[in-house]
Amino acid sequence: MSVSGVRKDFLHIALFGLVYIVLAALVSNSYYLLIMTIVPVWAVMGLSWNLFSGYSGLISFGHAAFFGLGAYLVALCMVVWELNPWITIPLATLAGGVSGLLVGIPTFRLRGHYFALAMLAYPLALLYIFEWLGYQEVALPMNREAPLMYMQFENPFYYVLLGLLLLLFTLVITTLISHSRLGMSLLAIKLDEDAAEAVGINTLYWKLVAITISAALAGAAGGFYAVVLLVVTPLAVFGMLVSAQALIFAMFGGVGTLWGPVLGAIILVPLSEILYARYAADFPGIQGVIYGVAIIAVILFAPEGILWKVRSLLRPGQFRMLGSSASVADFSADESLLAVTHDDRNETILEVSDLSKAYGGLQATDALSFKVRQGELLGIIGPNGAGKTTLFNLLNGFVKPDKGSIHFQNKALLNLRPNRICAMGIARTFQVAKPFTHLSVLDNVIVGAYVHTSSRQAAGQIASAAIALVGLEQQCDLPGANLTNKELRLMELARALASKPSLILVDEILAGLDPEAMQEMLVVLQKVRALGITIVIIEHSMQAMVQLVDRFVVLDHGALLAQGSPEEIVKNPAVIEAYLGKKWLENA
Amino acid sequence: MPESTLLELANISAGYGGPKVLHDINISLSAGEFISVIGPNGAGKSTLFKTISGIVTPASGSIFYKGSNLLEVEASRRAHLGLAHVPEGRQVFPSMSVLENLELGAYVDKTGVEFRQTFEKIVSWFPVLGERQQQLAGTLSGGEQQMLAIGRGLAANPDILMLDEPSMGLAPTIADEIFERLIEIHKTTRLSIILVEQRVAEALHFASRAYVLEAGRIILSGNPAELQNDDRIRQAYLGM
Amino acid sequence: MGAMYGLMCVGLTIIFGVMRVINFAQGEFMMLGMYFAYFCFAWFGTYAFFDGLWFPFLLALLAGPAVFLVGLVLHRLLINAVTGRQASQLEAQGHYAQLVLTLGIALVLQNGGLFLFGSSPVSVSNELSYSAWEWGPMIGERVSVFVNQAQTISAILAVFVVIGFGLLMAKTRLGKSLRASADNPDAAIYMGINVDRAHRLAFGFGVGITAIGGGLLASNAPFQPYIGTEYVIIMYAGVVLGGLGSIRGAFLGGLSIGVLQQVSAIILPNQLQNTVIFICFLIIILFRPQGFFGKKDRTA
Repeated sequence: MSVSGVRKDFLHIALFGLVYIVLAALVSNSYYLLIMTIVPVWAVMGLSWNLFSGYSGLISFGHAAFFGLGAYLVALCMVVWELNPWITIPLATLAGGVSGLLVGIPTFRLRGHYFALAMLAYPLALLYIFEWLGYQEVALPMNREAPLMYMQFENPFYYVLLGLLLLLFTLVITTLISHSRLGMSLLAIKLDEDAAEAVGINTLYWKLVAITISAALAGAAGGFYAVVLLVVTPLAVFGMLVSAQALIFAMFGGVGTLWGPVLGAIILVPLSEILYARYAADFPGIQGVIYGVAIIAVILFAPEGILWKVRSLLRPGQFRMLGSSASVADFSADESLLAVTHDDRNETILEVSDLSKAYGGLQATDALSFKVRQGELLGIIGPNGAGKTTLFNLLNGFVKPDKGSIHFQNKALLNLRPNRICAMGIARTFQVAKPFTHLSVLDNVIVGAYVHTSSRQAAGQIASAAIALVGLEQQCDLPGANLTNKELRLMELARALASKPSLILVDEILAGLDPEAMQEMLVVLQKVRALGITIVIIEHSMQAMVQLVDRFVVLDHGALLAQGSPEEIVKNPAVIEAYLGKKWLENA
Repeated sequence: MPESTLLELANISAGYGGPKVLHDINISLSAGEFISVIGPNGAGKSTLFKTISGIVTPASGSIFYKGSNLLEVEASRRAHLGLAHVPEGRQVFPSMSVLENLELGAYVDKTGVEFRQTFEKIVSWFPVLGERQQQLAGTLSGGEQQMLAIGRGLAANPDILMLDEPSMGLAPTIADEIFERLIEIHKTTRLSIILVEQRVAEALHFASRAYVLEAGRIILSGNPAELQNDDRIRQAYLGM
Repeated sequence: MGAMYGLMCVGLTIIFGVMRVINFAQGEFMMLGMYFAYFCFAWFGTYAFFDGLWFPFLLALLAGPAVFLVGLVLHRLLINAVTGRQASQLEAQGHYAQLVLTLGIALVLQNGGLFLFGSSPVSVSNELSYSAWEWGPMIGERVSVFVNQAQTISAILAVFVVIGFGLLMAKTRLGKSLRASADNPDAAIYMGINVDRAHRLAFGFGVGITAIGGGLLASNAPFQPYIGTEYVIIMYAGVVLGGLGSIRGAFLGGLSIGVLQQVSAIILPNQLQNTVIFICFLIIILFRPQGFFGKKDRTA
């Protein structure tokens, strides 16, 4: 399926290339040919931006840095060492990639606004540095003796050809990525970074890979741009307009799609160039105004880009889906794929010792100690505000404790990131469901399966097994956002199961379900348990819990109040007081 | 609608986008009454208040306040009409002082003239607020913040005071103290109060009427004395 | 100089503090302030009545309310769509949309300015710009520090504006409602505060104050419509240094950046001055994002 999806995209790419070349051959006006050369350059920039920001959701305002570095590399190499562009453009690509990596490592520690600001600063800093270094204007020398060597053609058609080749190359790379584990991981990160971490995606690693590739492409675009324009100035390659353009073409056309940035470039570049040429004398700055207006219009009326807007108009009501799956579910896949074996039934699988965490003045977790036995179904209960979800956040790696330790299968979990913890065998569902909204149910679960395998085949099989277990076969092509409450929770469970855990932390999976749905869910949980997976579940609905669990741990104000079997707990005076109040106890 | 009914919710269903959290809710409050709404977690108690305050728009049903349709009034105007909401988790303004928090409670009073008097009364009920006037609200203890939140609710001399789980996260003794003050306040001012609580006994003890909310529906209502011994409450909370 | 930077930083931090929005177009509003001062000076300056030394400063102060109004309108029309309550529906809570929208506005203003005002640099100046008081001699017998008179008066005015605004925020009902909206928007609604309106006012104040800073800077050096970009990073550096969301911090941050710039002017060549500021900015963001006075914001 994914293979056919890729093939389909390749076909489209080839078709596009063909049409473009034919068009270029028919056009004889050299100015138009120049535009046809510049369009691919900006399309590549747009695609490179899209690859990183469109897929990961981290907005980069600094792609000009990579573009400019590529441009200057090619220009300076030609001026100083007389290296020809056939060598230097690939070098520029490499340089772009390396600088992307260097930028990513420190900057990814930042989130949200700070990240955007930092990215903005890089190209501007480079701009000033290059100005200071004296490279106000670097002109590429003309080389009449060996024009082919130096990429200097009499006939502008060849420039178009080269530009197109660069674009096709980028399109192919983007296609490959979008169908791969990288693409899926990036989308997951964009849609919900926390959920992605919990499901085992090493978010830092994938972000770095993405920015490296993206920056490499930007560097290539910059290098080629230098060859086409024959003059490089700091403002032209490092200026804010460059970063803005990368962004605008991608956004205008359609974020996260293959053809969006191309569409954006095809529409906007000729528009602005032609308007500039005709009106620049009377209206200086018209380019900027056009781009500015375009971007404002897009944000207000079609925030995801024209491509999506058109699609939603043509097929109203159809949800915007990312990711690449059509149904590949192979439901003959065996549930035993998910089974977990135990050596000793009574061995402790998870041990919490003296765990404490305070938020400001509030002690959320207070010297908590308890053990979880392999294969058991443990319920964590307590009145509202007792610190149950905080406990899960601590176990899962989202929050660092102030004191105390956690051991899973005799290995310490302190200071490990959530994705590591997932890889070790602890999975989790969330109190407020965190689906990857724009991915299909199948894709949602496949994301979970990737933690132990890189092969799409294998991942698909595991995912199918998980979906079959929870009973969501019918829904597997629906987008994550269109599910009912019950289906959402089943999907989160399937996603957690796909990472083949030994222990699942289930956070209020029954909340908001009507009695029928609750029963269904309980049956599924029993099935999970039958596979040998240990379950720790937080719930409020006591009616359901007493039927389900082996043991209870009761929390109050973050501390352990009581533990024991359901019968013991319900009669325990301290518990009754915590839930219903002292006066109830007096009256009872 | 009888003369003294202050607030009436009829057939309210509400939720956050997708599935409904509240189904067909009917509640009424008369002037000067102290009523409680109890129920286990996830029953929809906070959603109820948010719907009355306007943060959540109901999917169907109506709310009448002092005889006119409350749903036509925008959320930030409702406080101006005499509805005070003491939110779940206190929600004080952490970087502003105790005094400023109280002043903001009286925001609806544009001239601030009455505030001086009201302030004195609030301090008489919660002396600690007077002592720590200049302290930043974020540095107060949980119990103090709760008192501040209640004081803030009272600062505008509202007609209805809605309290959302005031005992949450507080040690039992402090929670008891707060409840006692609430009773005092109710006795002296005859303010109409809606109390939402998870802790059954306290809520039933003080109110003159109570509703029991479970999974978004009212399953019981009536006189607290009757409800006190009703087994269905026990079941809802403890499962058996 | 630092004081004027400080003023502009304050404008920026107000917007971030209340609305949690990064406004890329802040530099462009500064530019608007500058041009407002310039045009008024050019039009009215010929009348004898307005020919006083104090006139440019008055204009700078007037630029504030003028740009304030522009800001209100812009917010109502455009920005409101991507911030505040509606924003929670959008992807990534609208952060993405906010950044891009303000970028779009920046581009339009910048290039629109290029079109309306022309690209040749203009300036507002009078005798005070050229005269200086001498402090000195100081080190040794040959070094004196010249303090430009116009700059000094501007700095004093800037300080007054900041203090005035600070008082507005601290003491008045309006100011408190703005601070409350920043501190806890949901609770603010419960108090009866119209948070959308608070955002609008904050935006207006934010750009207006920055415009005053711009107006004051107008008498300092020649400028053209692209000047906004140059100063945007300086403003953000100052704000981040002082801590996003703190007015006092922003002012001090801007002040420090200004001082840093002057000091580095002595040692380094011209172009590198700004690079030093960038490097500082990057260092702060990477190692201490909350600056000196800011609050640690977990969901930056």
